[in-house]
Amino acid sequence: MSSMIRLRNVCKNYQLGEEIVPAVCEVNLDIKEKEYIGILGSSGSGKSTLMYLIGLLETPSSGKIYLDGKDISKLSDSQLSDLRNHYIGFVFQSFNLINRYTVWENVLLPTKYVKGRLDFDPEKRAEELLKETGIYERRNFFPNKISGGQQQRAAIARALIMNPKIVLADEPTGNLDSKTGDEILNLLEKLNKDMGVTLVLVTHEPNVAERTRRKIFLKDGKVTQKYL
Amino acid sequence: MGNELNDLIKAAYSDFKRNKVRTALTSLGIMIGVLSVVMLIALGLGLKNYIREQFENLGTNLLVVLAGSGFSGGGAQSFGPGLVSGIRFDEKDVTKLKRISEIDYVVPVFFKSSVASYNGKKETGFIFGTTEEIFSLLNLKAQSGSLLSKSDIQSASKDVVLGASIAGKLFEDPSAAESKIIRLENQRFRIIGIAQKKGDNEMDNAIFMSYKTTFGSLNPDKEFFTIYLGVSSKENIPIAKKKAEQALLERYDEDQFSVTEQAEILSTVNQIFSVINAVLVSIGSISLLVGGIGIMNIMYATVTERTKEVGIRRAIGATQKDILLQFLTESVLLSLFGGLMGLLLASIIVLIVRAFFPVAINLFSVLITIIVSSSIGIFFGVFPARRAAKLPPIEAIRYE
Repeated sequence: MSSMIRLRNVCKNYQLGEEIVPAVCEVNLDIKEKEYIGILGSSGSGKSTLMYLIGLLETPSSGKIYLDGKDISKLSDSQLSDLRNHYIGFVFQSFNLINRYTVWENVLLPTKYVKGRLDFDPEKRAEELLKETGIYERRNFFPNKISGGQQQRAAIARALIMNPKIVLADEPTGNLDSKTGDEILNLLEKLNKDMGVTLVLVTHEPNVAERTRRKIFLKDGKVTQKYL
Repeated sequence: MGNELNDLIKAAYSDFKRNKVRTALTSLGIMIGVLSVVMLIALGLGLKNYIREQFENLGTNLLVVLAGSGFSGGGAQSFGPGLVSGIRFDEKDVTKLKRISEIDYVVPVFFKSSVASYNGKKETGFIFGTTEEIFSLLNLKAQSGSLLSKSDIQSASKDVVLGASIAGKLFEDPSAAESKIIRLENQRFRIIGIAQKKGDNEMDNAIFMSYKTTFGSLNPDKEFFTIYLGVSSKENIPIAKKKAEQALLERYDEDQFSVTEQAEILSTVNQIFSVINAVLVSIGSISLLVGGIGIMNIMYATVTERTKEVGIRRAIGATQKDILLQFLTESVLLSLFGGLMGLLLASIIVLIVRAFFPVAINLFSVLITIIVSSSIGIFFGVFPARRAAKLPPIEAIRYE
């Protein structure tokens, strides 16, 4: 199977006052279709930065990122935005739904940023996804009126509405109790298995890390062989 | 594209609904700005129309001969006809001007304000010592009775025609004023008719009589300040003007009199009004500027408040342009809403005030309102919107 995403010698530095702090350093990584990968490390290890680099929300300070063989550093803002829209779905620790929109509107939001024509009926797909994630009954609620678990389900439905090839989940269970967290993980894994979506999970929790099929350990921004 | 705009407007609307008070207060600034500008334009326009109507009442093919250098000369000394140059016209000038073939009427006017009394009632009016031709020149008709005739003029009769207003003030029933005797400057005059209302203060309070009648105690020097010339056609106005000037130059110096076209006077007046109007509108525009700054202020606050939302939108596929347009739509709608409210309020005020004062709203004010308030929305919205668009997605999404 060919690599969807390839990272070659990728570094990301942040400027903190006068000082330049490397968050991710010399990372080489290949992500293949339908994989279930865990990016693991303690807090501050650079795992979130790595995820945002993969998610095209960050650009590397040095090194190259290839998406289906294409060098993304050559892409414009609108091309990158278009890839984030079609290719990638994000799930965050703090859910990141827009509170002034209902669950239904939140799930449909990515379809509003499609340039050109949609090749599916967005409302029909939103209905399917909300049924799949089990919160169809809550579709007209505002996010702050439903539980954390339900919000994360809505966020997963939003991540999936454009039929992405890859879902990036940043500590998706971090704000949930363990039972709800398990349910969310089950749901994500089901999507990986049934729909063939590549799943990249960022976590620092060992019991969550256990479940991933391939593990990448990060320490001080570098990939290491050992966990912690 | 239409759909996109629809989504943008819907999103902005949902935000306005959530912040009703803030939306209303922000628009209020623009509303007041637009209100003041539209009202000032309306006022300027109304006054201009009013003055134009006054001039049109005089008829179109009119030349005015004034003592002094007149309107067209410009400068402060040109006002106060006759006072500087010291000349007055007399019957000889009238006779001379009558010989010009392009001129149909030569109407000399002796003008004096005076108090007329009837039955113990006293009212101030304006004596017009003139000829019967003034009525056709000014397009004046009789409301009751008759107007002065040629023989009245020639015989220096003691017959007078009253303007509608002064007749109304002196008589409870003006239609019964005919052949009543009024006293004026210690003389007795017989009213033969009442002229129609003209809407002009001097005309409506006029006491028309033969210029020859005034040659007694009223106008012992037999002089006129003004001579109106009725030209046979519009095309002949330049020739008539030239000939009249030549005729008068035989007796007077160039700077002692002026022959002015009505159009010239009108354009001078228009120029004065345009300047006044421009000054007023620029003062009014200051409030628009303040309103615009208010919008910018609120938009900066909105961008900060919604930093996280910007990050989320960027993550799910919004381009910088999408974000820019989202905030720009909001500021333009805020401003446009304020502008339309201001226009609406101005229209209502104009409708009410119109009964007392000449004001007018035209298509120009409406277009200007829409264009100006949208531009303010764009101009003052683009800085905050750019800030939102340029936010680094990661920092935005982590913002709490």
